[in-house]
Amino acid sequence: MDLELETNKRDHQTVLTVRGEIDVYTAPRLRQAIVDLVDAGAVNLVIDMEKVNFLDSTGLGVLVEGLKRVRTRGGDLSIVVTQDKIVKIFEITGLNKAFSLHTSVDHALGEPVSG
Amino acid sequence: MMSGPTADGGPVPGLELEVPPKPAFVRTARHAVAALARLHEAPEDLVEDIKLAVSEACNPAVARTEAGPDSATDPLTIVAAVNAGRIEIEVFDPNGKVAREVTGAPADIDTQDLPFDRVLALPIVRGLVDEVAITQESGGARMRMLVALTPATESPASS
Repeated sequence: MDLELETNKRDHQTVLTVRGEIDVYTAPRLRQAIVDLVDAGAVNLVIDMEKVNFLDSTGLGVLVEGLKRVRTRGGDLSIVVTQDKIVKIFEITGLNKAFSLHTSVDHALGEPVSG
Repeated sequence: MMSGPTADGGPVPGLELEVPPKPAFVRTARHAVAALARLHEAPEDLVEDIKLAVSEACNPAVARTEAGPDSATDPLTIVAAVNAGRIEIEVFDPNGKVAREVTGAPADIDTQDLPFDRVLALPIVRGLVDEVAITQESGGARMRMLVALTPATESPASS
């Protein structure tokens, strides 16, 4: 399965829904999507990865870049992740401490976002 | 190259494949090794770990190739086989240069001084496999990983 990206505006936050595999082949598309959103002023991002079935270090690197990008502009980036295999990757790299991880988009949107 | 019995009762060869160090082919490599693991009845969560480990083993070569048009594009060789209840996976990059050789139990591997692209990758591999060795050879860089399949699958002690 390739990568599918969908953007929705919710209040003052932007939800980027990702489906498929995030690897060295598809990660550049995710990187560009985040860059485009932030350049357009969407600095409070929720990335919904509930339908992501594969994530490697390349994808993690893109997320870290995204986090730095929004924070330098006064925003924040939250991630929705429910599958154990994806949560595990955040945990073994320690990035579960760097990101705000949530179990649903509603939960992510309900959290106060710094800005 | 033959290994133990599989779900359908027949012997299944290990696999060896060569893929160009390009992003589109990493998926091919991981799914091929995953298929071998599934034939040996590896549980799905373990198959997912194996897929990720294979991808991480291939990614440095891909990143190097993508970094510049003059980078060498000799194919990666991926060899996998199941023996004695363990799957052994080797990824050989003929143009690879190892930043620092590592060998042994994953918990013993220090990742503090690795360059950024390996700072994420090696901890991931370390968290997925039972043994890992990354070695520099005269002909390139080799990553060798061992993962135990579930004891219930191929335990020699079971009767």
